[in-house]
Amino acid sequence: MFKPWGEKDMMLGIDVGGTHTDAVCIDNGSIISTVKRLTHTQDLVSSIVDAVEGLDVDVERVERVVLSTTLATNSIVEDRLGPTGMIVSGGPGIDPREYFLDENFYLVKGAIDHRGRQYQELAEKDVIDVGRRLKARSIEGIGIVSKFSVRNPLHENRIHSILTEDFRYTSMGHQMSGSLNFPRRIFTTYFNTAVMPVQHRFLESVGMALRDMGIYTDMLILKADGGTITYNSAFNLPVETILSGPAASIMGAVALTGERGTALVLDIGGTTTDMGVLAGGVPLMQPRGVDIGGKKTLVRGLELLSLGVAGDSRVILEDGNVRIGPTRVGPPACLGGELPTPTDALSVVGLFDEGEKERARKALSDMSREMNKSVEDVARLVIKTFCHELKDAAIRFINELNSRPVYTIHDMIYPEVIRPEGIIVVGGPAGSLCSLLEDTFGIPCKVPRYYEVANAVGACLARTTVRITLLADTYLGKLLCPEMDIEEDIPGNYSPDDVKAFGMERLDELYEYLGMKDRPETDVVEEQSFNMVRGFRTVGKNIRMRLQTRPGVLPLSEM
Amino acid sequence: MKATNSTGLIFFPAYDWEISPTHPERQERLLYTQDQIMEEGLLDIEGIHEFKAGFATEHDIQRVHFCIPDVASRITPSHNISAGGCIEAARHVLDGDVDKAFALVRPPGHHSMRVVHGARGFCNINIEAIMVEWIRFNYPHVKKIAIVDTDCHHGDGSQDIYWHDPNVLYISLHQDGRTLYPGSGFPDEFGGPNALGMTVNVPLPPRTSDKGYLSVIENLVLPILDEFKPDLVINSAGQDNHYSDPITDMAFTAGGYARLNEMLSPDICVLEGGYSIEAALPYVNTGIILALAGLDYSYVQEPDLDIKSIREEQRILDYIYRLTDGIFENWHKRNELRSEYYAKKEYFQRNKSIYYDTDGISESQVEVVRVCDRCPGVFKIDSQASTGYRILGIHIPRGACQECKHKGLEWFSEASGPYYGVYLQDMDADEYQVRLL
Ligand SMILES: [Zn+2]
Ligand SMILES: [Zn+2]
Repeated sequence: MFKPWGEKDMMLGIDVGGTHTDAVCIDNGSIISTVKRLTHTQDLVSSIVDAVEGLDVDVERVERVVLSTTLATNSIVEDRLGPTGMIVSGGPGIDPREYFLDENFYLVKGAIDHRGRQYQELAEKDVIDVGRRLKARSIEGIGIVSKFSVRNPLHENRIHSILTEDFRYTSMGHQMSGSLNFPRRIFTTYFNTAVMPVQHRFLESVGMALRDMGIYTDMLILKADGGTITYNSAFNLPVETILSGPAASIMGAVALTGERGTALVLDIGGTTTDMGVLAGGVPLMQPRGVDIGGKKTLVRGLELLSLGVAGDSRVILEDGNVRIGPTRVGPPACLGGELPTPTDALSVVGLFDEGEKERARKALSDMSREMNKSVEDVARLVIKTFCHELKDAAIRFINELNSRPVYTIHDMIYPEVIRPEGIIVVGGPAGSLCSLLEDTFGIPCKVPRYYEVANAVGACLARTTVRITLLADTYLGKLLCPEMDIEEDIPGNYSPDDVKAFGMERLDELYEYLGMKDRPETDVVEEQSFNMVRGFRTVGKNIRMRLQTRPGVLPLSEM
Repeated sequence: MKATNSTGLIFFPAYDWEISPTHPERQERLLYTQDQIMEEGLLDIEGIHEFKAGFATEHDIQRVHFCIPDVASRITPSHNISAGGCIEAARHVLDGDVDKAFALVRPPGHHSMRVVHGARGFCNINIEAIMVEWIRFNYPHVKKIAIVDTDCHHGDGSQDIYWHDPNVLYISLHQDGRTLYPGSGFPDEFGGPNALGMTVNVPLPPRTSDKGYLSVIENLVLPILDEFKPDLVINSAGQDNHYSDPITDMAFTAGGYARLNEMLSPDICVLEGGYSIEAALPYVNTGIILALAGLDYSYVQEPDLDIKSIREEQRILDYIYRLTDGIFENWHKRNELRSEYYAKKEYFQRNKSIYYDTDGISESQVEVVRVCDRCPGVFKIDSQASTGYRILGIHIPRGACQECKHKGLEWFSEASGPYYGVYLQDMDADEYQVRLL
């Protein structure tokens, strides 16, 4: 079997979460050291340094460092974004001004239709004028978006070339994603530019701190889809690094179990439990993109359900029934908090050893009196409710995935139904809940070793992922790959096979350029080909294809 | 942005189904519509929900059609799903999941009549009628339904199915049958003896544009609906009145379609025809969805629209106003007309010749209906097709009186002669039988 490990291959994975920063060191395919530290929320760089220093690392042998961070996420969610200019050109449909967030968003004339044909020229004078105004407000970053730019980036490129000299940070919509969705393109491009300054400063400081520790290898950054991007890509596409935390845990579950079947992954944390789904060992992706800061984006992410039923959730009695969550009440009583939590219930029945069991008992005693039950019975009831809440949510989640619309007769008749055959549980309380979850769900439940730092393992081992969109319109004689900024003339007899071959070649070049040692597997995740008929004559083909590196992990040698 | 009316969307473009590679009903038909819907982000709007299509069962189809020789021979899975998409749209509205729904499905259905020997006008089975009968069976509180058919072609199939039904009002606006397939749909086609006035036809002159078209909605359709007071309004939302449609000759716009849906405010829309797949459908469908949801559609416009060049001449408008007045007058006289024509008759017979253009089949029918004051009236259809099949179909309507019900069962059990089989639809019993002879 292919063995990807060499002499020098020591790898570090670091996940900077809201509460904890976790890190692992993997040597020659084996986990040799792990660490869990509290995150210094005001100084993420020092959190990283602390974690790495806590590991048993031979710095000279470190070949790979992967970082998953909440930096971009937090700056969006906490609304700490600097003023950013947006230049948007629309066309018929919904008024684009519906999506404008502030006075730095501008609409300029120019329109492109669904096949990528320009039918209104770009008003270049307006673009220059908008540039001047933004400049006058000392704005340093701009986002450029036109409707249907993924069908023809002409106007975005033109605006960019007019304004690029004047602004330090720029993003163009068609480079964010090849997917259609104008409002999401606007928000994605906006966030991308807006987080650039903070992301650039952060990556530079982390790079410096690592070098100070003697680690000179290029850093990789984890994305929401459970793949990594290079340091340079993270400079240009910082928005891709949002919401990588849950993805880290799910990739960790894959790495730690070597799962190849259909399984539900539960990452039970303090504030939330995140659920993901593996099909054939590969995590499912969201079809349109992740939501952040109340906005929908085109950022590709794993299919996730985030549930306010977790270790530190509020536990109360409502009309005689135990209710859990969705709010967090701070640390569990056994760890110094005041109010009862599911963790306290685990403590009472002896499934959680940290902290003071007596404090947990005391926290549950009010409920015990009210229900006229022993504290142990109340604790068991809380745990049972906890497991059932998770199961109900999982059933809803899976049903929802299975009732997604499909668009062909074939997919209606032969649906790909997701039916999990097992559960993988990671995160803090995972160990104590295994057999209870197995009983509740009625399917086998695995808790892998190192489950408490699955996120850092996932980050460490995640492969680089790329997705490209290819559109061939043989009637117009054009092939387009928006994400790679490729526009080519093609002959009239260009076929779906030609499109695929073209895309594979471009990906190969990219993998080469990224210095990826083992060539990852590439899937055709979407393929459609339509005869275009005008009058009663076939005039060409409209071919649409998406190629994607299969999200996955480097193997651990002991799996 | 938030939808004023929560709106469900069933999108089933059947990307793997075509009549033939260059036929207007081909895989590509809804491709650019989907592109526009995706790019507009319509499915992300709060209050707009996409639902999965479903399958109509054989039983659902038998509620409407006599399929000859049987259901399985007349349809493909695409038809099950297209009708099933409409049923899902209705389910979500009637269960209160959404206020309104739009079934953007293909293949279409409004040229399919009660007896089905083959495909006509790209249609095998009538997807609206299958939905309507599914609704009436599953949600019996829905008594009165209005279908407003705004496809450019006369919906001769829907008209045929509801000809005798006093509880389903069928109104069709279409390009004048003297200038377009299927050549029917004149104002004197006004419903059967037990349902006179429940079929309303408005044949519009070629080149009718927004002003003329919307005047009919305002001055005829809405007032009739006001009087009929339906529990549910359905729009057969064909989009071939568009000025760019290749197989018709009208001058309606995307903005006009949106305004139409705003005025009509149907509970359910069902896509029918519409073959200007690049220049019209993306914009028309965006307009309809926004209008249904109660959102601003004023920026939805075709890139090549030159409104002045397609505006109707005054004489066309005058013609439409006169036509509308005449039809409205007749509608008010429907009860007098009924006693004038049918009062003394016990049975009424009509003979029809039907041509299945898509499949090249000819059919001749003799239909006999019992004129009844107490119920919609039992009827039977003796149908002979050029395929060699001759059948007798008997329909005992929903809410049939004892006499009509007995008559129907008697016809069914006593029929003999040169028939391949006798078919029975007993609506109240929800039973559909075939007796092969
Ligand atoms: Zn039509
Ligand atoms: Zn009767």
